[in-house]
Amino acid sequence: MAEPIITFKNVSKTYILYKNDQARFKALFFKPKNPKTNKALNDVSFEIYRGESVGIVGDNGAGKSTLLKMITGVAFPDCGDITVNGKVAALLELTAGFSMEMTGRENIYLKGYILGLEDEYIKKIEESIIEFAELGDYIDQPVRTYSSGMKMRLGFAINVNIEPDVLVVDEALAVGDASFKRKCKNKIKDIIAAGTTVLYVSHNASSVKEICPRSIFLKKGTIIFDGPTEETLKVYEAAKQKK
Amino acid sequence: MFVCRKHSFCDYFSHSANINGQGGIPLFTIFNEHKGFGKQIFLLAKNELIKTYKGAVIGPLWAVVKPAFTIFVYWFAFSCGIKTLKAVNINLGGLEPFSTDFFTFMFIGIIPWFFIQDSITQGAKTLRTNRQFITKVKFPVSTILTYTGLSRLFVHLFLIAIMYVYVIFKVGVSWYNLQFFFYCPLMFMFFLALSWSTAPMSAFSKDFESLVVSIMSGVFWLSGIMYDSYGFEGPLKYVMLFNPINFFVNGYRNCFLYNRPFFEYKTELLIFLAEFLVIFFLGIFNYNRLRKKLPDVL
Repeated sequence: MAEPIITFKNVSKTYILYKNDQARFKALFFKPKNPKTNKALNDVSFEIYRGESVGIVGDNGAGKSTLLKMITGVAFPDCGDITVNGKVAALLELTAGFSMEMTGRENIYLKGYILGLEDEYIKKIEESIIEFAELGDYIDQPVRTYSSGMKMRLGFAINVNIEPDVLVVDEALAVGDASFKRKCKNKIKDIIAAGTTVLYVSHNASSVKEICPRSIFLKKGTIIFDGPTEETLKVYEAAKQKK
Repeated sequence: MFVCRKHSFCDYFSHSANINGQGGIPLFTIFNEHKGFGKQIFLLAKNELIKTYKGAVIGPLWAVVKPAFTIFVYWFAFSCGIKTLKAVNINLGGLEPFSTDFFTFMFIGIIPWFFIQDSITQGAKTLRTNRQFITKVKFPVSTILTYTGLSRLFVHLFLIAIMYVYVIFKVGVSWYNLQFFFYCPLMFMFFLALSWSTAPMSAFSKDFESLVVSIMSGVFWLSGIMYDSYGFEGPLKYVMLFNPINFFVNGYRNCFLYNRPFFEYKTELLIFLAEFLVIFFLGIFNYNRLRKKLPDVL
């Protein structure tokens, strides 16, 4: 196959749990001795290729969010290498990361610049974003005046219209009313059909099966199984039953 | 590739993760984060100003009213209350001491102080108050410090404009006024570099933030704003040179009051430049050290 678009190589991430604020203060200057830690990811390695759709399943606290945060570039690993070759759009927390005083339009540009897009390109996709978000004249109002539904719509519209190379989707995504939800689902399906790499996080086995041919099962920060979704889900179910 | 040591921080200073071209040579992390983001920084700075002053009836005028009141209070206390302070004699190393009235002396010194005070206390808090850009989305984090600093600089320039009107009538125009364009950018850079250290550390530990704020409440009286920092005898005279705030306060007076070139007092200039280098590299070091831990602690 072609070159992988996402590579995780022996990635580990440990959260340090400070005993109290004093310990935290001390950690600014000295390495803490034997701190309590929580290993969110433990020696995780995998490769995802262009055009693949991969599901990530696991219970709460399995490290799914940490993994996604690393792919989107918000969090960083302690050790190991992560390579992401392309634009990442994350449908995780849609209302986050807006500058409240800026208008919707200005926020489109802000987001675009963060993703490393050029003025010209943003200008091209601007109208389709506004149209998709159904914001109308509100696009030139400060984002703080938006309702939470409008913010979500704008967040969603920006992320899906930048023609991402990787789309990260959390199944528990809330985007407002039923008709817009349908529109979003269709848009995601279009993106998948267009051959974008998709990472799909879910607790729901059937929806993973529907979208992703391949799945990764995470448990306590370790990859238990990585393979065809059918088999992964079997292992996942078995692990659930054991509990 | 490097091997993860057991129970380790996996190397405190590692920059192994290479996501979308971030990382690279640690020295240039901050520089790279700013590259191509200039227009956005200005836009965000503008919005920072709107955020500060919106919803108030006189809006941006508060940027003047607050310092004006502070100046009035100090002038009242020192010139009317403690009646001895009407004129200040400054020893600039010349034959005759330079003499001026207290209000002019204080006015020119306190304007940079307002900027310095805000830069240090607000600068330390900035990452905590803008955490949505750190924990939720990928963002060039060091630019947060730049755009908030820039919004303070706008206010500073506004105050300088007002002060300059006073200077024109009271002291007169001089070529030395142009030295402002040396001191002001230098001041901006110095306190920006300082915030590369203080802001991530304050985000990490609230105690550090409180420490900075507490120290700042006293630093005013340790700096030569109400008095002449050159006016000490013996070793204290040299100790005062190590306070970078004095460098700027005296620098602004060089521009607008003393009409003295910035390189005349070489010891002061050299000590400051040495401190600037230390703060600059310490800032880069601290920022790189803590940058990747910020999303975890905020």
